[in-house]
Amino acid sequence: MSMQTGTIAKLLTQPTAGERARQRVNWTMRILVGVAAFLAILPLIALIAFVLLQSAPFLVPSFFFNNPLDTSPGILNAIVGSLQLTGLTVLISGPIGIAGGVYLSEFASPRVVAIGETAIDVMLGVPSIVAGVFAYLILVPVLGFSGWAAVVALSILTLPIMMRSTQEVLRLVPQAIREASLALGVPVWKTALFVSVRTALPGILTGVILAFSRALGETAPLLMTARGTNAENWLDFSTTMNAIYQYSAAADDLLIGQAWATALVLMAIALTINVLVRGRTVNSRTA
Amino acid sequence: MAGLELRRTGGLSADSLFRRITGTGLLVLGVALVGLIVAFVGYSNPLWAIQSPIDFLTSATWSTGTIDENGQVVDALYGALGALFGTAATSLIAVLFAAPIGILAAIYLVEFAPPRVSAPLTFIVELIAAIPSVVFGLWAAGDLSNRLRDTIEWWIASSFGRFIPFLSEDPESPAADSVFRAGFLLAIMILPMVVAVSREFIRSVPISLREGYIGMGATKWEVIRDVILPTARIGLIGGVLLALGRAIGETVAVTMVIGNAEGVPSSLFQPGQTVASKIASNIAEASGEIAIGSMAALGLSLFLLTTMISLAVRVLIRRFAFTGGRA
Repeated sequence: MSMQTGTIAKLLTQPTAGERARQRVNWTMRILVGVAAFLAILPLIALIAFVLLQSAPFLVPSFFFNNPLDTSPGILNAIVGSLQLTGLTVLISGPIGIAGGVYLSEFASPRVVAIGETAIDVMLGVPSIVAGVFAYLILVPVLGFSGWAAVVALSILTLPIMMRSTQEVLRLVPQAIREASLALGVPVWKTALFVSVRTALPGILTGVILAFSRALGETAPLLMTARGTNAENWLDFSTTMNAIYQYSAAADDLLIGQAWATALVLMAIALTINVLVRGRTVNSRTA
Repeated sequence: MAGLELRRTGGLSADSLFRRITGTGLLVLGVALVGLIVAFVGYSNPLWAIQSPIDFLTSATWSTGTIDENGQVVDALYGALGALFGTAATSLIAVLFAAPIGILAAIYLVEFAPPRVSAPLTFIVELIAAIPSVVFGLWAAGDLSNRLRDTIEWWIASSFGRFIPFLSEDPESPAADSVFRAGFLLAIMILPMVVAVSREFIRSVPISLREGYIGMGATKWEVIRDVILPTARIGLIGGVLLALGRAIGETVAVTMVIGNAEGVPSSLFQPGQTVASKIASNIAEASGEIAIGSMAALGLSLFLLTTMISLAVRVLIRRFAFTGGRA
C-alpha cells in the first residue's frame, strides 16, 4: 500500500521522458531567442565602437569651425549646409504635412480617409533615391544641380511622415473634449486648432523632429540634386555632411579620417535627436 | 470624426476656409504622388521609343551606344537585368537573415525579457534605425565587409561552393566587393524594422489565448509556436514585407559595398549592382533624353516595386485587423 502511494507520488513529481524533452526544447528556444536579441543589438555596438576609434584623432575643435580648404581642415560648411537643407525641408513639408494630418483626422469623410491613408502608405514606401530622381527629372533641367531640388526631394520624403504622425496623435485626442468645445459655441476651426491640435501638439512636434532626423541622414537624393550647385545660388547648401560618401574611396588618409569624423558627427546628431524624442515617448509608433 | 462639421454657413466662413487650407495639405500629397507617376512614365517614354520594356527587363547589357557620323546615337541598349538581379538578390539575402533573427528577437523582447531588460533593449534596437545609411556604408566599406568576407562568406563558399557554382569563390583572391556582403549589410539595416513591427503584432495577441494554452500544460515555447506565431502570422509577414521594401530602395550604403559591376554576377560573392546603386552611380553622367529616360525607367521600376509592396502590406494588415489578433 505504502509502496503504491510512493509510486504514485513519484509519477506525479518526476517528469516523464516526453515532458523532459519538451522542457529541453523550451530551454533551447529560450536561449535561442535571447541570442537573437543579442545579435540584433550587436551591429550598433560594433558600428559605434569602430566609428569612434577611427575618428577620435580627427576630433579637434578646429574640425567643427574650419572649412575644408583651411590649413587645418574642418567641416563647418557641411554642418551649416546640412542644417540649412534640413531646416528648409522641415519648414516646407512641416506645415503642409500637419495641415493634411489635421484634415484627415478632423474633417475628411471615411472615403477620403481611406484614399488619403493609402496615398500616405505608398508615399512612405517611396525609396529616397526615387524621390531624388523625381527632383532630378523635373527640377534639374530648370534650376541646374541645386540645393533647392534637394529640398523638394527631401520634402517628398518627410511629408508623409509628418502627415501620418499628425493624424495618429490627433486620433488619440478624446472626442469628448472636442464636443465640449463645440457645445460652448466655439467655431469648428478654433476647436480643431486650439483644442485638438493644442492637445496633440507634443506628439505632432515629435513627428516633426523625427522627420528632421530622417532628412538629415538622407544621402541618396543629394547625389543627383545638390551636388554641383552653381555658386550664384544665394543659399549655398550644395555641401552637406552626407558628402562623406565621396570620401569613402579616397586614397588620402586625411580625407578618410575626416569622413569617419564626419560620420561620427552625423550619427551623434541623429542618435541624440532620437534619444531625446523617444526617451520622452517610449512607445512612439510614428516611425 | 467627420461629425465635427455641425453647421454649414453660406459663403466662405472661417470654418470652411480652415477646412480648405488643411485639405490643401492632403491635396499636395496627392499631387506629389500623381506627379511622381506622371514624371517617371513621361521621362522614360523616349527610351521606349528605341527599345521595348521587355528588352529593359530581360537584357543584361547596359550600353549607351556609340555616335555615328551623323551625330546619331546607335547601338544603345539599356538592359536592367543585372541591376534587377542585384536588387532581388541583396534584398532577399537581407530578409533571409533579418526575418528570423528579427522575429526571434521580438519574441524575446515581448515574451521572455523582464521589463527592465526589454525597455532599454527595444530602445537600442530602435536607435539602429536612426543611423544614417551613409554611416552604415562607411562602416561596411571600412570594416564589416572584410569581416564578412573572412567569416560567413568564406564558410559558405568553402562548404557549398564546390557543388553550387553560384556560391563559389576563389579562396586565394576573394573579390573586393560582393553582392552577398551588400545583402548582409541590408539585413542589419532592416533588422530594427522587422523587430519593431513584429513586436507590435506579438504584443497584440490577446493574453487570454496564452493563458488558455498554458492552463492546458503547455510550455512557454509551445505557447509561442502554437498560439502566438499563428495568430500574429499575417502581421509578421507584413512587417517582413515592409522591411523588404526598405531593402529594395536602400541606395548609398549598398553602392559603397556592392562594387557596381555591370551584368549578372557569376556568383553571389562577386561584385554586382542594384537598381538603386545603378541610378546613383550612372545619373551624374546621364545626358540626352534617352539616357535620362533610362534613369527614369530604373526609377519607375523601383517605384512600382515598392508601391506594390506598400499596397500588399496595407491589404494584409487590414486582413489582420479583421481576422483576429487585435481582439
